[in-house]
Amino acid sequence: MIADTLNPSLSRAAPDPVVDADNVVRRYGAFTAVDGVTLRVERGECVALLGPNGAGKTTLSRMIGAVAPRDGGGLRVFGLDPWADQTRVKSRIGWVMQQDALDEDLDAAENLLVWADLHGLTVERARARSAEVVKLLGLDGREGSRPAALSGGYRRRLAIARALLAEPEFLILDEPTTGLDSQVRHALWDVLRRLRDGGLTILVTTHYMEEAARIADRVVILHQGKLVAEGAPGELVRRHLRRYVLEVRADEAPDPARIGCPASDVRRHGDRALVFHDDESVLRAAVSQCAFGTAIVRPSSLEDVFLDLTGSSLGG
Amino acid sequence: MGDAFGAVREPPSASRRVAAIWRRHAKVYGRSFWTNATPAVLEPLFMLASVGIGVGAHVAQTFNGLSYAAFMAPGILATASMFTAAFEATYGTYFRMKYQSTYEGILASPATVRDVVIAELLWCASKGVLYATIVGIVLALMGYVTTPWALLIPVFGFFNALATAGLGLLMTSRLKNIDSLQVFFTLVVNPMVLLSGFLFPVAQLPGPVPAFAMSLPMFHAVETFRLLSVGPDHVSETWFWACPVALVAWAFVLAFVGGRAFERRVLSER
Ligand SMILES: Nc1ncnc2c1ncn2[C@@H]1O[C@H](COP(=O)(O)OP(=O)(O)OP(=O)(O)O)[C@@H](O)[C@H]1O
Ligand SMILES: [Mg+2]
Repeated sequence: MIADTLNPSLSRAAPDPVVDADNVVRRYGAFTAVDGVTLRVERGECVALLGPNGAGKTTLSRMIGAVAPRDGGGLRVFGLDPWADQTRVKSRIGWVMQQDALDEDLDAAENLLVWADLHGLTVERARARSAEVVKLLGLDGREGSRPAALSGGYRRRLAIARALLAEPEFLILDEPTTGLDSQVRHALWDVLRRLRDGGLTILVTTHYMEEAARIADRVVILHQGKLVAEGAPGELVRRHLRRYVLEVRADEAPDPARIGCPASDVRRHGDRALVFHDDESVLRAAVSQCAFGTAIVRPSSLEDVFLDLTGSSLGG
Repeated sequence: MGDAFGAVREPPSASRRVAAIWRRHAKVYGRSFWTNATPAVLEPLFMLASVGIGVGAHVAQTFNGLSYAAFMAPGILATASMFTAAFEATYGTYFRMKYQSTYEGILASPATVRDVVIAELLWCASKGVLYATIVGIVLALMGYVTTPWALLIPVFGFFNALATAGLGLLMTSRLKNIDSLQVFFTLVVNPMVLLSGFLFPVAQLPGPVPAFAMSLPMFHAVETFRLLSVGPDHVSETWFWACPVALVAWAFVLAFVGGRAFERRVLSER
């Protein structure tokens, strides 16, 4: 049903990718914020862009979303150069910016109607679509509120409603759930999952591993402006790490020789040490042999991959 | 709307995008119309009462057959349409650009930076039309507007505000800090008003000052509104028709230069 109301055209596969980025570069002065990223987003795919603060997620998504220029590399969105052909590209994109970028001078309903006007919708169409997205995002009763009077959760709902208003084929969300409580977060994930299932192409940046694992078909990890890993969430874990991990305090890190694993499978991150092994029972045996203060054995996760690749934990 | 083969809705045309941004500004302004428009009516009345009638009572001289009050009254059309554009193009645009995410939001839609700039210029010019019209009606009711040429007052309110908006955007494009706007008003806007021939004929100023003053857009604006309010008989210059022409020329030049500079500023922050 959502697929019908939002995107009649999208369930049909098209051969061309929505995003085709080839070695994209963006510099701020002497600093390179995005340093040669090559990336494709296929039609109907939901891709999560992960990375620590300052990794370049916002910068990359803004170039893709036709709101910022690039300094080098090839970039095609819907087969067009997004910056040079920004009107055409943006008319097919729904944008949810990192800071919402709502119009603080207008109430919620006016925010939607002005957006519709900017997209060239007729007044009747704008009204009809507004009613649909208000319902979809549960904004009923808040139409008359200014953004400043809305809670963080409702601001974000309004930003998403606005992004969906003009029936985009491609939704870009920059940290849509940061700063929201877990209940609101789950509600928004639900919305995003339904949109994805309806065939909408989605690019979402996030700090939440759980979010990436739940809604994304594919995860892309950025670090210092470079793409350091990509793949389906489960596949990424399998490819980069052994299946299980023993987590202990750093000063209690066991001798790899005693467990029978290579030294490279023992990693230290801050005050924790992680021992990776494909056989859970080996790690459990190590726990029973050593008198660790606190020890956890668990399956390796996307979070561990992230930590391993970027050397920092997620800010979420 | 998409069709079965993935063809998409045509993107909105440039004029549609500019109109949408203009309508957005109008919607925000219209909500507090009376708060905004009341000072627009009262301020010229105060000016006329205190300077035109108050000070004018002590001025025996006539100006091309006009009393002092009748001489200065049309200048209020110029200051009113100028100040509204000056504020809108500086404080207004700087707020929309920096403190509120207005541009950020608009630029996530199909609109371009150029659309935003053109819409700002047109919006400022439209406010010039509105203010010139309101003040023109007030002055007409008080008997200071005496020719049918006055029907053109709104048109020149547009060009006067457009010239000012261009200057304002030029200023905003250089702005690092909102406090510097005070300097713009003190060192640029207010001296232009004082040198405009609004309160006294600039010819009485010493040395090269009159020639300089007569080259400024505000001078042309004041002369133009005087011409439109009381007709050519009461305008000193035999080349009175040159003033409206010069004002329109100034408007296009300043709008172009200021608009370009402001466009580059917004683009540089993308
Ligand atoms: N306008 C700018 N001028 C100068 N440097 C910038 C600008 N915008 C971003 N940067 C720098 O570029 C780098 C990447 O920033 P970006 O916002 O893309 O990171 P991010 O991955 O989105 O981070 P976060 O998770 O904090 O949102 C950062 O080091 C940032 O300081
Ligand atoms: Mg960011």
